[in-house]
Amino acid sequence: MAAATHIPATERAVLIGSRIFTTLVFIFLIAPIFVVVPLSLTAGQLLVFPLPGLSLQWYREFFTSPLWTGALANSVFVALVTTVAATTLGTTAALGLHGARFRFKPILVALLVTPIAVPVVIIAVSAFYFFASINLVGTYLGLILAHIALALPFVVITVSATLQSFDPNLPRAAASLGASPLRTLRTVTLPIIAPGVASGAVFAFVTSFDELVIALFLTSPQQRTLPRQIFSGVSENISPTITAAAVVLLIVSVLLMLVMEWLRARSQRLRNPLETA
Amino acid sequence: MKTSKAILAIGLAFAGLAVQPATAQSLTVSNQGGQPGEVQRKTVFEPFTAETGIKINIDTFNQELARIRTQVETGNLVWDAISLNPINEAAGCEEGLLEKIDWSKYVDAKAFDAVGACGAPYLASPGTLVYDSDKLSGDAAPKSWADFWNVAKFPGKRALMYQPDQTVEIALMADGVAPSDVVKVLTGPGGLDRAFRKLAEIKPHVKWWKSGDESMQLLLTGEVSMGYGWLGRVNAANASNNRKLRIVWDAGYTNALIYFGVMKGSPRKDAAVRLIAYQLSAPAQARYMEQLGNPPANSDANALLSEARRAALPDPKARNGMMQAGPTYINFWLDNGDAIRQRFATFVAQ
Amino acid sequence: MSMAATSHEMAAAPVPRAASLAAQVGAAERRHLWRMLALLAPSVLFTAFFFVVPLALFMFRSVDNPEVSGYLPQTAAVMQAWSGKGEPDEAAFAALAADLRAIRDTPALGLIGRRLNYALPGFRGLLTKTARRLPAADDGATKAAFLAIDEKWRDPAIWGVLHQQSGRLTSFYLLTALDLEKSPEGEIRRVAPEQRIFIDLYGRTLTVSLGVTALCLLIGYPVAAVMSRAGPRAASWMLMLVLVPFWTSLLVRSTAWVILLQNEGLVNKSLIALGLIDQPLALIFNRAGVFIAMVHVLLPYAILPIYSVMKGISGNHLRAAASLGAPPLRVFRTVYLPLTLPGLAAGGTLVFVLSVGFYVTPALVGGPGDQMIGYFIAYFTNSAVNWGLASALGALLLLVVAAIYLALGKLVGFDRLRVR
Repeated sequence: MAAATHIPATERAVLIGSRIFTTLVFIFLIAPIFVVVPLSLTAGQLLVFPLPGLSLQWYREFFTSPLWTGALANSVFVALVTTVAATTLGTTAALGLHGARFRFKPILVALLVTPIAVPVVIIAVSAFYFFASINLVGTYLGLILAHIALALPFVVITVSATLQSFDPNLPRAAASLGASPLRTLRTVTLPIIAPGVASGAVFAFVTSFDELVIALFLTSPQQRTLPRQIFSGVSENISPTITAAAVVLLIVSVLLMLVMEWLRARSQRLRNPLETA
Repeated sequence: MKTSKAILAIGLAFAGLAVQPATAQSLTVSNQGGQPGEVQRKTVFEPFTAETGIKINIDTFNQELARIRTQVETGNLVWDAISLNPINEAAGCEEGLLEKIDWSKYVDAKAFDAVGACGAPYLASPGTLVYDSDKLSGDAAPKSWADFWNVAKFPGKRALMYQPDQTVEIALMADGVAPSDVVKVLTGPGGLDRAFRKLAEIKPHVKWWKSGDESMQLLLTGEVSMGYGWLGRVNAANASNNRKLRIVWDAGYTNALIYFGVMKGSPRKDAAVRLIAYQLSAPAQARYMEQLGNPPANSDANALLSEARRAALPDPKARNGMMQAGPTYINFWLDNGDAIRQRFATFVAQ
Repeated sequence: MSMAATSHEMAAAPVPRAASLAAQVGAAERRHLWRMLALLAPSVLFTAFFFVVPLALFMFRSVDNPEVSGYLPQTAAVMQAWSGKGEPDEAAFAALAADLRAIRDTPALGLIGRRLNYALPGFRGLLTKTARRLPAADDGATKAAFLAIDEKWRDPAIWGVLHQQSGRLTSFYLLTALDLEKSPEGEIRRVAPEQRIFIDLYGRTLTVSLGVTALCLLIGYPVAAVMSRAGPRAASWMLMLVLVPFWTSLLVRSTAWVILLQNEGLVNKSLIALGLIDQPLALIFNRAGVFIAMVHVLLPYAILPIYSVMKGISGNHLRAAASLGAPPLRVFRTVYLPLTLPGLAAGGTLVFVLSVGFYVTPALVGGPGDQMIGYFIAYFTNSAVNWGLASALGALLLLVVAAIYLALGKLVGFDRLRVR
């Protein structure tokens, strides 16, 4: 950063101006998210400032009301099953795509990643009609299958990106030493691409954990997830408990983001150990 | 191997997931939600569970008939028993979405004004002009729907329901139609156009609400200065927030019997009928209405209400209400409901 | 994404002499390929079955027309053969009477009534009324019986609808989604002005999306530039500030805006306290609210791709241009901007495509006049049960998205169209 010493006044003004602008943009990005934190501590019944007093009542409600604890449990359960399934499927698919070269590969790649490009509301409505015809609406399985379809592309993309920098000679070396393909996969390939797989898993988890639109169409009260319950708390059964729930979601998101960035840094280090000296 | 075990476990878990968790010992009920829904849970559903051991799962819907149609027509029943407004009770019954039930076998029909072919009424729900009396008082307070429409004299946004039924009726009252004449005017030639013309006057000032809770939230947070709201919601909002929302009964209001019906093909029909019959019994009605402040559908329950509550009940005959009932009115909505809803959605969005 | 195939250059290298070795290699190659395809199979099958099939069935609904031919089979057959001109004859009435008798006490009557009511309001009532009063047996004067029940049966519009909807497939929903209809004579024309809604809706969806995209790029570009020129520590902090909203649930963020922007919200109260305004500004449940919340939700999708492109630009280019005496604005215009264009295009595409399909945020922060196409797809599925129309709207939306992707994706390169 050898900037800032001999630059003309106009450019300096631009620089300062753009920094002020950037600061304002960051405030715009961050501040609204954290507004819910003080509100979740309100002693009143309405989501307005100034707070009439401080209280943990909404957190108590969140962690004791069966509606909210059930929703949290549902969300965690659905997200975990989705993560395991999508990560397994996505990683094998990425390995397959990486290892093979054939004519129709671009079509398969396109097929595997298009769910990202299609508006979620269309995926949700399609899933709803389809699952209604096979009696999966209002079941955990229906919700999980739809979430896997949504999360799978993220895993495929993330793991594929990791595989691109993966040295193809390593598995060949293992094979020439007599290791079976499965053993090669387990002892050579997977450990190296592990950060990518973990990133994909985090992506899959968040995709499911934060997902609302599909849950709106596919769940009955028994499978109600946390976002679905928050949505209800914003529109039908209005209650400040939504702010406590929002803070919980926020904490989970930020933690997962930190895990993600850590994984990213780690996989970069593994890839180019010299660069990050 | 570890993996194969894991795969087996996942497979088993998935097989388990496909099975509906609701058993014969639990019912899924969909009601209006919000604070009145909460009152219903405490005064009706919980005592019912205590007495019968049948657990109640509660869902919420805003009278979208579509959600019932979808479940019945695709065979994916999520709900067993549902709360219905009079139009949906009639439409659902005619379309075969609800079980036809002879309620006189389960309740004392003499105690009820009307029992539907499919649904049984459990409360009367007046829809009224409401304002916050802490913010508006004296001459600043509205006296009529004409005042509600008069944004020059009474500034501020208005809250109206994002559904044509009840809203077009209110518009006619604002246009000078007496509540007792609303059905005749609305179903007569040009009535609907007249209502839409009147709505067009106030449309720029309206914040449309979709759920009863929203209607109260808008008043409580001061987003609107007055609105259309249901009695039970107003009572609940005042009670839980210690506020003074006031109803202008003299402006004229809509009034509807709210029914409970059983979804066609529900495998738990017997339990659902049992719950509804329980809900209509005089003691349950009295417990429920004592807290909600709505007129009970079962007239036997009146005697069980406290003196204070009975005195505070609106008397539909003495007051200025327009009953959402009768073949002319119901058939009008059955025949034209879909078209009016589409016209309304277009009208609001334009 | 370019999934560069890496392994097995061996296959490409010609192996002289030992033909059997080549055959062995070939066999090993094939074995390997099959193994890889086996790895791919579960995901491909899963996506095909749980994504492609539902989507295809959904799209098919926009032309599917099972009701008339299914519930009124005899009528449909007569109508198919009918010219569509003048009044239909006794045979048509007799067929309809037979069909109605067969379904009159079943839910099918309600279903067919609703279906025909989409095309012509009032049809449902006419049908149920007629079915109810229809004599039990045919006496050769069915037409007279129908007309005695209701004179409307003379109306060519009624029979026009039956005629047009008697086929197994229909253009009705797609036409409706474009504010078009078929006249009883079969001509395609625009619907009456007070019923026109969907063209406006697409227009609104596209203008809001374009506006949001433009705002995101205008705001995101300088921010990405500052980030790319900051030191590593500052850059990683700023990256966090972009990533926190990116990772935060969209629902939480939209709700936060409702709380902030409502009449008694923090923004209005602060402005009033500062004496800047007397009356609260209408910031939410209108177009302004939609823009604010959508830009907030989508800004990271613009910043991140632009940032990653800018990070890759070496300062040497700029210094070289500057050292040749080019003024800063010109350096920017002729060197920096063209170099960052791929990032802008990628960010713009992402933001635009995402915003075209938005549903939850406008539903929470907009008024009824601010809802976009996604909302109406959900509305016609959930609140109005017009599934054919929901599918038609969805099909058109998908067409728009696919067109944007193909046009811009080719231009930008598909591998750039992701955020992190």
